[in-house]
Amino acid sequence: MKGYWKYFLNKLGWFAITFVFAFVLNFILPRLMPGDPVAAIVSRLAQGMSNATGVQAIYQQYADLFGTNRPMHEQFFIYVRNVFRGDFGFSFSQYPRPVAEVLGASIWWTIALQFPAILVGWIIGNTLGALAAYLKGGFDKVLMPVSIFVSNFPPFGMAVILLAIFGVTLKWFPIAGGYGFDLIPSFSWNFFWSVFIHYQLPFWSIVLIAIGGQAIGMRSMAIYELNADYVKFSRFMGIKDQKIIGYVFRNAMLPQITGLALSIGTMVGGALVAEIVFSYPGLGYTLMNGVMGQDYPLISAATLIITIMVLTANFIIEILYGIIDPRIKAAQSEQ
Amino acid sequence: MGKVILEVRELTTKYVTRFREDVYAVDHVSLKVEEGKSLGIAGESGCGKSTLALSLMGYYFPPLHYISGDIIIDGKNISGMKPDDVRKSILGREIAYIPQAAMNALNPTQKVIHFIEDVVQAHDPTKSKKDIYEMARALFESVGLPASVLQKYPVELSGGMKQRTVIAVAVILGPKVLIADEPSSALDVTSQKMVIKMLRDLMESGFIKAMIFITHELPLLYNVTDDIMVMYAGQIVEKGTAREAVFDPLHPYAKGLMGSIIVPEEGLRSAKLTAIPGVPPNLKKPPAGCRFADRCKYVRPECRVTSIAMREVGEGRMYRCVMSEKELREAYQNG
Amino acid sequence: MKHTLRQVFRSGKFLFGFSIFVSLVLIVLIYPLLVPDDPLRILGQGTFFPPGIYVNTYDSINTSTKYTLNLPNADVRRLESKLSQEDRLAMREWLIAAGIAESEIDIENTSSLLALWNSNYDPKKSIPGMTNARRNYFIRLNNSLKGLTMAGDLVVASKNAESGGLEDLGVVKDTDYVNISEVANVRLLLLGTDNFGRDMLTELVTATRVSLQIGFVAGLIATLIGLTLGLLAGYVGGIVDDIIMFFTNLFTVIPSFVLLILISYSLGQEQRGAFTVATVIGFTSWVWTTRAVRAQVVSLRNRDHVNLSKLSGHSIAHIIIHDILPYIASYVVMALILQISSGILAEAGLSILGLGPKTTEVPTLGLIMRWAMIYQAHIQGNWWAYLPVLVTIALITFSMNLMNTGLDQVFNPALRD
Repeated sequence: MKGYWKYFLNKLGWFAITFVFAFVLNFILPRLMPGDPVAAIVSRLAQGMSNATGVQAIYQQYADLFGTNRPMHEQFFIYVRNVFRGDFGFSFSQYPRPVAEVLGASIWWTIALQFPAILVGWIIGNTLGALAAYLKGGFDKVLMPVSIFVSNFPPFGMAVILLAIFGVTLKWFPIAGGYGFDLIPSFSWNFFWSVFIHYQLPFWSIVLIAIGGQAIGMRSMAIYELNADYVKFSRFMGIKDQKIIGYVFRNAMLPQITGLALSIGTMVGGALVAEIVFSYPGLGYTLMNGVMGQDYPLISAATLIITIMVLTANFIIEILYGIIDPRIKAAQSEQ
Repeated sequence: MGKVILEVRELTTKYVTRFREDVYAVDHVSLKVEEGKSLGIAGESGCGKSTLALSLMGYYFPPLHYISGDIIIDGKNISGMKPDDVRKSILGREIAYIPQAAMNALNPTQKVIHFIEDVVQAHDPTKSKKDIYEMARALFESVGLPASVLQKYPVELSGGMKQRTVIAVAVILGPKVLIADEPSSALDVTSQKMVIKMLRDLMESGFIKAMIFITHELPLLYNVTDDIMVMYAGQIVEKGTAREAVFDPLHPYAKGLMGSIIVPEEGLRSAKLTAIPGVPPNLKKPPAGCRFADRCKYVRPECRVTSIAMREVGEGRMYRCVMSEKELREAYQNG
Repeated sequence: MKHTLRQVFRSGKFLFGFSIFVSLVLIVLIYPLLVPDDPLRILGQGTFFPPGIYVNTYDSINTSTKYTLNLPNADVRRLESKLSQEDRLAMREWLIAAGIAESEIDIENTSSLLALWNSNYDPKKSIPGMTNARRNYFIRLNNSLKGLTMAGDLVVASKNAESGGLEDLGVVKDTDYVNISEVANVRLLLLGTDNFGRDMLTELVTATRVSLQIGFVAGLIATLIGLTLGLLAGYVGGIVDDIIMFFTNLFTVIPSFVLLILISYSLGQEQRGAFTVATVIGFTSWVWTTRAVRAQVVSLRNRDHVNLSKLSGHSIAHIIIHDILPYIASYVVMALILQISSGILAEAGLSILGLGPKTTEVPTLGLIMRWAMIYQAHIQGNWWAYLPVLVTIALITFSMNLMNTGLDQVFNPALRD
């Protein structure tokens, strides 16, 4: 167990470092660019938006809250303090709602949509890839080109196609939103059913994209493992083929877990854009609305939250991996 | 003359490439190994010696296919047996195989003892884990491996240790014949010595009754084995005692091969280092006559007409050439 | 080198991907020579004109020669095209309500449907449960059907500038035809128009070119950064390696699209040209190349030929150029191909978020997609506004991935199945 602790602490340390670094980037990148947040607000003021008093109020509040007139390092500490209080200021585009409230609603939609979808896609993709490697022949010949094509399809493209086929043409599923426009969120059967059917298209579009890439990866890992020397040795020691296949797939699956940890950022990015296609009330759609409404506080907070989500997911996968792969413990206690 | 433990008659096997071409890598090979003796097989890489090692197991899986011939172990012909019977009662029990690269011969995500359990239970499902552990511990200690190795993952073992573990696992069921394919080629000199010593001890203690040792390192072969066979393009071209094959080769290819390697042995150090020009024939379409004809210095027109039979020139001494022993000796004399 | 190339071109996958890619590039290069229009010119007033041949009505009437053709079923066909699916369903609804058996009504067969309607429809007949508005709809429908069936001649007239009265210029009969080659203004819009009324095909071809350029610039930048950092980390090693790998590991976990969003947004709409966006994408996607190059260089660093070169006193630059680069060239090419295709995808994603290049300068695949989404082409069934874009993106990335897989199989024979 000592080996695992070492691994765990190592990963935890990395998590902390990346977290701090991402946090600093999120603060500093916008401020390095010509259009810094204050300039953005001023330009909004100059545009004479209809809610001029609102923007004025935000400007005041923003200047106080973030100390935008003070030196950079002071601003940073104010920013840290505010973020830890969950205070991201007010949203420009949805004034007077605070950013925390706007995002608070959408985070859960995104988590409930993306993580199950990515997980299901990972599982199905790996199963198909393993089968392709083992069965070969026709199954492999059909599955692989399809997988390569699907995995190269832009994530939003898959969303649009599913929507056009199953939403618009066949009318099996609703085409927009997280639940019916005529419903108010409540603990009723009606509402849950509405959420469920609105969930299907976004969910499967993310699953399909994930399947393609995972199946390809798993197939080549499994082929590699099937040709490994331990397979030959196990066979010649009289072990049954079923048992050997078991070794092979377990060993091929392990790198796929690390692969998931490394690619989860990209997958979440693609899935966020898929949300936009379905006007799904998650972070992706909120982010796009933020961009359209030039809502700087909203964008900044959304990117921070997405980063934290990805980092956390990544950390959890690494931790689980350490438990599953015996080599990790062994290698750590060796040193 | 001792009891014959392993006899192979006219064994022919082929590879089927992924372009569905047949490659006859083992072509009518016959051999005999008596109790307490070891046979070495030498040849350039690609001459079919590794394929011969795989073919001797009597258990075939794609891309390797059995065509004809008999393998007789201790009087029992295993060639006609059903594959599953071979797996259960022959592999590991009568004949065992040590693969080329020990680095990957053990499943990386399994403790050594768990693999041994799988091996033993594949032949005898009733055996309890405790019994297996006791058996393995006793064996490991008798061959000079610490029992703690059993509780380790392969990554935790050094290269030499891993190779010795593989050998110990291979002989766990007490096979009569051991086939070792380049068991020491990837190791450093010290580990190499330990591996060779282990194999010798196994032979001398009578734990295994016969051994086939495959390597491209002739000095090793000369020091380890009693008899040597030289293979070229899927056929045996020379057979004799180790001393005869190394110091007095008859076949022009064997002559060239011995000349191409410096043996740290008195009398051989002065031998010239000569590489044989040319490449072996394509085994998808083997030539009608002598397969070495294209590279042979002494080639004659009749060499290319029909296949050449083995000539016997003494007790167990054979070679495959149109020239008589006398003609060959004269030719070598004249350079 | 020649041998390697021959091997590469013998790989089926590579060849297939390469031919798709080359065809795309050829189309992009040749099309503007044939149709030299400005891709951003607004042709149509209105959104999403469907694909087809557009014939100028004014010119058709004014063509010098008129032909009379008596084609069978011309009436029925005319009606068929006027009668929408919605109208047909409404007619069935009324007929069923009026007591006609549903099995007798075939809404696809226009003439039988009309016959049934004409013999049964009675505006005075009140159907229980029908609103007044609905009743009026049926009266209107009936009138328009009458107008269609009683096709008379149309009179073409022009306004007299002095008197203000109308003067007959001619009569258009329902058997009049013009030969399309005699009409002065005919425009083929193979993919219709987009939401701004631009010719979709011309725009798509230009957008493909721009997106390929963006992908290429982004890929080149990412590959150059990745190659430099990877070579430094792998060859120099030590503290340089530690520092570079520290940042590489950081940016592996911090999602690059978050950085893309932050930078693109901060740049502001006005600053974002296609080239700027490409640069930003390049600067946020060097991580994988760095890792791959470093791993290769580390395995090469202590090979005999490199050591020999070191002993011969060659400079680091010489060693890298002569003893390392040739060995990793295939990996770098593969990485570049992948970077180009992911750069194109990144641009598309950014544009959909509203953070892509400025709309007014050049079209890109992402921008076309963005506007199609905003104008809800996908919901209204205007497939020509988004499907060709998706297919183009998929073809580009698919062809590049195939080339990559092909190269991989040639250069890493161990992975060959």
